[in-house]
Amino acid sequence: MDMNCGKLKKYAFRVTKHRDVASARVRVPGGSLNAKILGQIQYIAETYGNGDVHLTIRQGFEILGIPFDKVEEVKKALQPIIDELDINQSERGAGFEASGTRNVMACIGNRVCPFGNYDTTALAKRIEKAIFPNDLHVKVALTGCPNDCDKVRMHDFGIMGMTEPQFDPTRCVSCGMCVRKCKQLSVEALHMKNFRPVRNVEKCIGCGVCVWACPNRAWTRSKEQYFRITLLGRSGKKNPRMGVDFIKWADADSVVKIVSNVYAFAKKYIDPTAPGGKEHIGYMVDRTGPEEFIKFILQDVHLPKKAEIYRPLNWSGIRYVGLKSEPFYVGKDVNPADLDVFQKPLPLK
Amino acid sequence: MVNNEYLPFRSEILEVIKHAELEYTFRMSYDRGDEHPVKPGQFFEISIPKYGEAPISVSGITDHSLDFTIRRVGSLTDEIFENYVGDYFFMRGPYGNGFDVNMFKGKEIILVAGGSGLSPIHGVIDYFADHMDECKKLTVIVGFKSPDDILFKEDQKRWAEKGISLITTVDRAPEGYTGHVGMVTKYIPDLTFEDMPNAISVVVGPPPMIKFSILELKKIGFDVENIWLSESRKMCCGLGKCGHCRIGDIYICQDGPVFKYTKISSMID
Amino acid sequence: MGYQLSRRALADAFKSWSGTYDVYAPTVFAGTGRFSETDVIRYGKVTDPADIVWDARSDYSFKEILIPVCQVLFYFTEHSVQESEFPKKGAIIFLRSCDLHAVKRLDYMFLQNGPEDYYYKTLRDKVKFVVMGCDHTFDGCFCVSMGTNVSTNYDAAVNFKDGMYYVDCPDETLAAALKNHAEGTCDVTADHVEKDDVEVHIPDNLTSAIAKSSIWDEYDKRCIKCGRCTLACPTCTCWSMQDIFYTENGKAGERRRVQTSCMFDDYTLVAGGGCFRQKAGERMRFKVLHKVLDFKKRAGFQMCVGCGRCDAICPEYISLTHCINEKLPQGMKEVLENGQ
Repeated sequence: MDMNCGKLKKYAFRVTKHRDVASARVRVPGGSLNAKILGQIQYIAETYGNGDVHLTIRQGFEILGIPFDKVEEVKKALQPIIDELDINQSERGAGFEASGTRNVMACIGNRVCPFGNYDTTALAKRIEKAIFPNDLHVKVALTGCPNDCDKVRMHDFGIMGMTEPQFDPTRCVSCGMCVRKCKQLSVEALHMKNFRPVRNVEKCIGCGVCVWACPNRAWTRSKEQYFRITLLGRSGKKNPRMGVDFIKWADADSVVKIVSNVYAFAKKYIDPTAPGGKEHIGYMVDRTGPEEFIKFILQDVHLPKKAEIYRPLNWSGIRYVGLKSEPFYVGKDVNPADLDVFQKPLPLK
Repeated sequence: MVNNEYLPFRSEILEVIKHAELEYTFRMSYDRGDEHPVKPGQFFEISIPKYGEAPISVSGITDHSLDFTIRRVGSLTDEIFENYVGDYFFMRGPYGNGFDVNMFKGKEIILVAGGSGLSPIHGVIDYFADHMDECKKLTVIVGFKSPDDILFKEDQKRWAEKGISLITTVDRAPEGYTGHVGMVTKYIPDLTFEDMPNAISVVVGPPPMIKFSILELKKIGFDVENIWLSESRKMCCGLGKCGHCRIGDIYICQDGPVFKYTKISSMID
Repeated sequence: MGYQLSRRALADAFKSWSGTYDVYAPTVFAGTGRFSETDVIRYGKVTDPADIVWDARSDYSFKEILIPVCQVLFYFTEHSVQESEFPKKGAIIFLRSCDLHAVKRLDYMFLQNGPEDYYYKTLRDKVKFVVMGCDHTFDGCFCVSMGTNVSTNYDAAVNFKDGMYYVDCPDETLAAALKNHAEGTCDVTADHVEKDDVEVHIPDNLTSAIAKSSIWDEYDKRCIKCGRCTLACPTCTCWSMQDIFYTENGKAGERRRVQTSCMFDDYTLVAGGGCFRQKAGERMRFKVLHKVLDFKKRAGFQMCVGCGRCDAICPEYISLTHCINEKLPQGMKEVLENGQ
């Protein structure tokens, strides 16, 4: 059997541990799909695969046990799914390209969740349209509110929905529910003064719990939807870490533009020897320093006036031994003691 | 044009009588008595703008003044205690039904009070102190937490001199205290009557004190139909509008605060 | 005889009224819901009849016009008080039949229970009521059970059909403008429903003894004491007094009354910390019995008008109609059996 593994992988198939057997991966941008897609998944699994399907970590399906010689047929069978999910592809009937940039994930968002501050799936699909197909390794995840159920801080770009609470004193009945709930569920950014809640603007993370708690529509959401963008969280075998805050009160247009801008940076700074041409953006930033990275991603971005940009950006996380290059800040004006705890193996005695 | 009942009038502090650390009587000017006569057991909404209003029972009535005995328990009363003779409060009232002294006339009267519960019946005692011939006998049992908490000491002296049978008791006292010690309920079994079925009693004070006093009265065979209470609740208006003082179909501010025990005993808050 | 008006014609009538009256009606407050990208229907000033919501019940009631959520009574300085000003214009309120029946409850509280309320009376005297005909019942309405499905004591009544407004207007002040702008005349009888999907039966044997039954206990855990049921209710009127000051030295400020709820923790709280009804079930009992027992004892007619707003707004899905139909008979049975 002759198989161009690179090409196979480019079309979202996995080369598995079983000889001559692949699995077909279907990404679901934003995590929501019409149930009829499940029927087609079942059909492919039962017709071409071994009947099993794995639910992937990134909100997709992996249809298992597909013999190499059925791959082309499977690509054709995937077409109704590609159409229904409106996934970018270069050529109809030829499957879809997706090997570097990963599915844009989303929590269930405001289509269902009482706390969601925006339609996470819709924005995920918009980002999908802007960045797919792309070979470079980029992970984007969206979550409806700062509760971060989608764990977006583990991704290159984490997008958290925010709202700017609007207060109408003429509807306030001084019940204090907003203050209590902000304290219990969020950051305690509210306190009562003169029978009315006062919002600490600095502290407020725009979660919207006050709006949810208010019984009389004194607190409402801003017309504008806002976002917190976190940068360069990752898992991996070198230096797994949480993404750090980059922008508070960004708008949706800026989010899409910032994510799209990352590819120019990656093209320029990717390690030419990176295996398979895949490298976490974070490792490139470790070499260039965050300022160069920020210069690229903020290219032609027009942030709303409210937006706050965090500086400097410092990551910590776990550092396994054998990291190829030291992070940029070693030897610079940054005290590692300020950068959280570095975990290193204890020296042998 | 409807009268705006919410606009308070200004009243000058004529005298401050300090009974205890936390309890003062403020004697306030009042010259509206012809139009708005005041009965014992009625109350006023007393306020200092910005600190809010509170319903306070009238504890003494003269032609040109009203007494309000106030216990310092919150931000409003904290502020009230910062005021002195010549200062002003805002007031509106009188509200509530109060006591009609006629209902006591010609009878043996038993008044049982706990602490500042003495305020609403203070005017009743004052009246009969001056008109002892209008009742058969007046017994007052009043309890305080400790000797330091005793209110209206001067008045009590005067009442006793006028022939009122007065038992002032304290819950606890330091050694060497010569007065009565014990709960008010302790003295109820010792009461003697010429004509118990026609005697009348008023019980005013904290809910547990009321409950146990009435139990004792029942035990000695006192007719519950002849027991009266004065209730207190949160009230924002005194006008039957704000809703806070409602119990069942009763508004304390409109139908009370003075109630026949049998009318209110079945009500559940 | 009634009038037939198009949207434009009715808008012209609104304009004619606008010298003396503001028109208030249920309208959409877009994006102001509890959840993101959801709307609220509540009362607001309306100039275009198209902004009036006909196909749904308002989440909050008209009562906010007559008893504002927050109403300044007077302004004060150290030595004097000055009464607050009232809106210069009167109000024309578009409301459903059940709501017009609720006005009777508000009138009882503010004009009869104790002395007349100056602020309510002043606003009330300048209000005209326009009943919005109901050609169908909404989810959870039980007006028929409460006898509030028909109203006759309105200033005007409007049916809305196929983009046209059909108005019956006994009030001569309002009729003048309608006559001027009408595109035709016809007989108009306000639409009303004869049957709701929900029926309630208040037990004939209901007495306050039910307070002692165990039916209320369930609500201790279920009810979150948020007060939405009472804030949305067209017949709940409770308020609290608030004094606030504007300046650092606290010598000038305002006294206002603000809607409150018997569900709130501070409802019975007195200085010194005493508080009745700590448990949610006790508060539920206090509210429910007011609606279907205590108010009637005092006023002679039931308080609840069956608008269904409390059921619709409760975030914990506690239903008044369920309580009346299922819990009250159960509770009466329990206390009667225990009494024997």
